[in-house]
Amino acid sequence: MKGNFTALIITTVIVLAVIFIGFLAGRNKSSRSSVEEWSVGGRRLGAFFIWFLIGADIYTAYTFLGLTSTAFKGGSIAFFATPYVILAYPIAYFFLPKIWSVAKEHHFMTLADYIKGRFDSKLFSTLIAIDGVLMLIPYIDLQLSGILDTVTFAGTGYVNVTFVVIVSFLLVAFYTFFSGIKAPTYTAIIKDILVWIIMLILVVSLPIIHFHSWIGMIHTAAHKVPQLLTLPTTGPKGIPWFSSAAFISALALFMWPHTATGVFSSRDANSLRKNSIVLPFYNIVLMLVTFLGIAAFLVIPSDTNPRVAFLTLIHNSYGGVMQGLAYSTIALASLVPCSIMAIGASNLFANNIYRDLINPKASSGRLTIVTRYMVFVVIGMALLFGLLFPSALISLQLMGVSGIVQTFPAIVFSLYWRNLSKEAALTGFIAGMLTIFYVYSTGNSYGFYEGFLGLVVNIIILLILNPMFSSKAKNRSNDVMKTLFSK
Amino acid sequence: MKIVIFLLAVIPFVAQLLMIPLVNHINPIIMGFPLFHFWLLIWMILTPIFTFGIYLIQKSNGGFKE
Repeated sequence: MKGNFTALIITTVIVLAVIFIGFLAGRNKSSRSSVEEWSVGGRRLGAFFIWFLIGADIYTAYTFLGLTSTAFKGGSIAFFATPYVILAYPIAYFFLPKIWSVAKEHHFMTLADYIKGRFDSKLFSTLIAIDGVLMLIPYIDLQLSGILDTVTFAGTGYVNVTFVVIVSFLLVAFYTFFSGIKAPTYTAIIKDILVWIIMLILVVSLPIIHFHSWIGMIHTAAHKVPQLLTLPTTGPKGIPWFSSAAFISALALFMWPHTATGVFSSRDANSLRKNSIVLPFYNIVLMLVTFLGIAAFLVIPSDTNPRVAFLTLIHNSYGGVMQGLAYSTIALASLVPCSIMAIGASNLFANNIYRDLINPKASSGRLTIVTRYMVFVVIGMALLFGLLFPSALISLQLMGVSGIVQTFPAIVFSLYWRNLSKEAALTGFIAGMLTIFYVYSTGNSYGFYEGFLGLVVNIIILLILNPMFSSKAKNRSNDVMKTLFSK
Repeated sequence: MKIVIFLLAVIPFVAQLLMIPLVNHINPIIMGFPLFHFWLLIWMILTPIFTFGIYLIQKSNGGFKE
């Protein structure tokens, strides 16, 4: 395959322009004056910016490439992402304002900080932090493979693809180090505008190019590949998988370290409520794009690697200019989220591993610098794993959501349930993690999503153990519990 | 009012997770979408409207304590 020179130039120009804006976002020195400024923008962002920041977290290159590839391979099972993201918001509507106000009051930067304050347990918060980092770095690598494929399509034969990917990741690391959360906030605005315009153009024009109209595409699919338009009633990925995957992913969405960073940046609780109401509409474009995976199945050679089905469809359907716009959109959808994911992971490293375990007396200036330098460690680790051991990552990537959701009972139940004991929540969390490791290693999940089984075990253990420790929990009190329950 | 909030919160979950077996069909094709996808699309629009309903009720009941 040979890249397309026009497409390569357009992609390069747009990506460089956005990287420039990433640096420009931090031209004011105050954006790196403290951890609170650098990581969560001084908690001053209004509803408008929160929309873009959380949008940047959720609608990534991986969502566009991953969902079309799933649809290409397995048909409508890919649409589990629709109820998943939609249902994440009503859940978020209830608990985000609560966790936001505790975090603001006690200056928490991460969810692990909250666990430490709520349960007075460094062991628990460290485990939550390690879980977060362990699941987030493979997630950054999904973005890495997204941009790797995109540059391969645009630039093969013109540039060294690996070199370009390394340079673009390092530039993202630099502007994140420089500008902090302001970089993904401002660049996300451009990314989101491009996503909306370009993805809508693709969704409208691709069916016209290949099937005369959207209706034509659906009728062709219904006639030729009806099995792709409904969920299979037998096999490991049927209706139970669809519903449990959607439900578990919805619970997990705001447990990710980087979504928590976005949430903590909010100015007030009401901005979070408003966004829980408006953000679901973002999903319309994602759902329509998922259909293009089914369209790809009808149009491109069936032996295409599913991973690049969407890119192949774009490549085979358009000239250089449109290809370039599409590739740059996907490249931005990979780079912008990386920046905020790196901030999320850096905070876990700096607060919950460096400060809590290594240097408890670190001054705030020292902590700021450590947090900022951690960006290079995180991006470096992602590059190292992604380029050197791609196969080792795959299992962790599959496990991501299942591993993250195990923190849900400890984090969300404890916001409402005063006498939830540390012992029960911690044991439940560990039991849930062990369950998903076991389920993944045996490969049998009884038709359900793996994380679902883990969460069921997690909650059952928690409910059985808690009565034994609840009197102890009843007598315990601390500042975080006072904030939560003394109203 | 608590019961209304409860229903507004729970119905989208029932519709999008538990009722899937009832809508797992291609026909009828409505507005260019197979029944299954049309169902998901409708709830994509109804769910935020339900959440907005909860917001309005909570707001008129004296707002939010925080």
